Amino acid sequence: MAHINPAGTFNRSYAEELRIDRTRRDRWLKFALFMALLLLPFLSPSGPLGMDWISDQVVGLVARMAIFIIAVQGLNLLVGYTGQISLGHAAFMAVGAYSSALLARELGWSFWAALPASALLTGLLGLGFGMPSLRVKGFYLAMATLAAQFIIPWVLRYPMEDLTGGSRPLTVPAPMVGPFAHYAEDTLESGGEFAFDAGDPFLVDVITLQVDGDGAQTLEIELLDPAGRAIPDGDVAMTAQLDAMGRRIGLRYIASKPGQYRAVLRAAADAQGWQVSLRRSKALSFATSTAMYMIIVPLAVLLMLLARNIVRTRAGRAFISVRDNDLAAELLGIHVFVAKLQAFFLSAVYAGIAGCLLAFERNSLSLDAFQLDVSIELLAMLIIGGAGYPLGALFGVGFIRLLQEAIIPWLRPLLSDVLPQLFPFVDAVNITSAINPILFGGALILFLVLEPRGIAHRWEVFKAAWKLRPYSN
Amino acid sequence: MAIFNRRRQLWTTLLVALLVLLAALFLGDQLAGKKPARILQTLINGTLVGGVYGLVALGIVVINKASGVFNFAHGWMMVLGGMIFWSFFSVSAISLPGAALLSGTTMVLLLTAVRPGKLEQAQQILLVVAGGAALTMLMTIGGQEWRWLHAIVGSCAGALLTGLAVERLTIRPLIGQPLFTAVLMTLAVAEVLHGLTQIAWGTVELNLPIFVDPETNSRFKPIRLDGLQEALGGVAIVRVELVIAFVLALLAFIGFMLFFRYTRVGLAMRATSEDQSLAQAVGLRVRVILAITWAAAALLASIAGVLQGGAVGLSLNISYVALRVFPAVLLGGLESVGGALVGGLIIGIVEQFGTLINSSQQVGTNLAPYVVLMLVLLIKPDGLFGEKRIERI
Repeated sequence: MAHINPAGTFNRSYAEELRIDRTRRDRWLKFALFMALLLLPFLSPSGPLGMDWISDQVVGLVARMAIFIIAVQGLNLLVGYTGQISLGHAAFMAVGAYSSALLARELGWSFWAALPASALLTGLLGLGFGMPSLRVKGFYLAMATLAAQFIIPWVLRYPMEDLTGGSRPLTVPAPMVGPFAHYAEDTLESGGEFAFDAGDPFLVDVITLQVDGDGAQTLEIELLDPAGRAIPDGDVAMTAQLDAMGRRIGLRYIASKPGQYRAVLRAAADAQGWQVSLRRSKALSFATSTAMYMIIVPLAVLLMLLARNIVRTRAGRAFISVRDNDLAAELLGIHVFVAKLQAFFLSAVYAGIAGCLLAFERNSLSLDAFQLDVSIELLAMLIIGGAGYPLGALFGVGFIRLLQEAIIPWLRPLLSDVLPQLFPFVDAVNITSAINPILFGGALILFLVLEPRGIAHRWEVFKAAWKLRPYSN
Repeated sequence: MAIFNRRRQLWTTLLVALLVLLAALFLGDQLAGKKPARILQTLINGTLVGGVYGLVALGIVVINKASGVFNFAHGWMMVLGGMIFWSFFSVSAISLPGAALLSGTTMVLLLTAVRPGKLEQAQQILLVVAGGAALTMLMTIGGQEWRWLHAIVGSCAGALLTGLAVERLTIRPLIGQPLFTAVLMTLAVAEVLHGLTQIAWGTVELNLPIFVDPETNSRFKPIRLDGLQEALGGVAIVRVELVIAFVLALLAFIGFMLFFRYTRVGLAMRATSEDQSLAQAVGLRVRVILAITWAAAALLASIAGVLQGGAVGLSLNISYVALRVFPAVLLGGLESVGGALVGGLIIGIVEQFGTLINSSQQVGTNLAPYVVLMLVLLIKPDGLFGEKRIERI
């Protein structure tokens, strides 16, 4: 939607109308804001500098907010710009999360390959569930996406239980850059033993073991972590390299805990002249939420910019015309179905990226995080923030998270004291879990009645008034 | 191939035939190992469960017909209705202030919704006080032996209150807003009702002993179809509480259908659903009609909630029944009252067959209805008995 310009400010060309930043100062301001945002983890205790200005919870919260901003921005492309309803976005996030986690766990793909792959997969699935939009719209489409919201988690929970673990949580390996800087190489005899120090949680130590020669042996090794506990073979940080016959001939382990690790090469019976080469190197690991912040936030900013630019392209203008009047759009020569499918694809890609980031940020994944209420929450965030506004996702996620993280914890003890005295049938235990849906639904109702265009619209009005001061009312 | 005058029609027909063939093969394979008795049992259970589903579907259809809103909060209206009924039924003496508050607010809302123009202000206040007092008396009179009266009056008042309040506070301000806003609004209402129910009644499953044998005061013994044992290779049973719920649901369904067809209010409702501005032009008070529609739908939801709670168990999970009923509504056709019942029965049977095929993976409740939904959307979006949609440019 167009900017509200103060009186006397005109766009003199089409390019000027389409510009994201009207002035150079706007651009610098945004760049400075982005830089300040990137500085946030360096001020937290678990950051690389170990400063104690901002708590780790805040950094983690901002990272998770950025993930949801990506998802809501994807929904914005579909709902806000193309005018199609989706009640199944949480399921699309689940697809992104589980596909990337499984690619990393089962096939040993790195995060950087799993992210685009899972996004693409989610996009294709979104295309599939966008197919009904050929024939139906409005409620009917909402129903189709509702079906997606039930069918996809069911498939993940039951038929794919062997892979996904069903309703049990799934651990996800941390993203990594490297290994690079190979600083030590060695060879080990059978029965040999070695120890090494690991320390930094960001610049982790990676050890790579490889059976030399024809490799007629299975690598039998016992790894002990700094606490002296044996690390099991299926550990998330461990990647095995198998030969054609399924024997383990190589091994990579990422040591992320500070302290001394020890490894003992077990002797094999026919271990004559048998050698294992050992290489120690460094890698950049993103195991903590603070580290993931450095991936998530730039990606979120990038995707916001991308969405903003998509809307300015020919395809984006087609989206908007389909939203405003699909019949008129068709008469203008826009292929309505193609435009809808494009929107579904893009939206699902965004959801897939958000899901993938969510999986790697938490290092653990459970289907409970992708239920129907999450889909509703995403929609509510979009409406409260402002559907069809570029900043809608930002405002919506900010508002709902503020409600959940600041207002509800403050209100909870208050209500737990007061309500049971007023109404004798109310149990204080139930208030804790019930207050979230009430406040969340109540906020949504208020916004729908009082300001259905969302906070972003208010922000535009406020900006216009600010530019006009002191003549604005 | 003259009947397939367009190529797409041919392809659609072929696709449908293929899907039906695949489904038949799959089902035949799955059901081949089952005894006929179990298949009959599944059919019986599905039909009995489907009766209540039909009632739920009717509530959704009624609101959609009148105001064009697809009510996602219907499931939580069911839960709320069932819970209110439980409170009056199980708690021997409901507190007097609580009952007075409930009946008072209901009367006020009823009066503001219907707005009888001829009454003076003093008369209106008198009406509220008198009506409220009468309702309160009906809710608290006597002791344990009057609990049926308490529960029925109390849950009717609660349902009216819910329906009218939801319409007044959330739906009416949306007039003129796009459809999408209404969808989100009912979702928001669902969230609020969810929270309120949870605050007041908690999350544990409640026992609602309404379908009990009056002599032994315990659950009815299921009827065993022993006569068919030879032919079916096993015993099929009929659970009496499900039968009672089914019959009551059918009665309520028929009652509401008669109400829509033969009363003046029902006629006005149907006129409003046809064309709101036309109805207004012939002197109908459209806003009053809409309020009454929501109250009626809330009443339907309450009845369904009580029946479901009594037959299966009263917990927050009942709200998922409404989600399973959406496929039924689409299958029957969004505008069709009769289609609601047919859709409900079909979904009930489909659900039970899903459970028969695989009971451990929640195929019946979490998958089968939604697969049906996708098929309906892809093959016949207007449903079996729905009106064909013609768009005006």
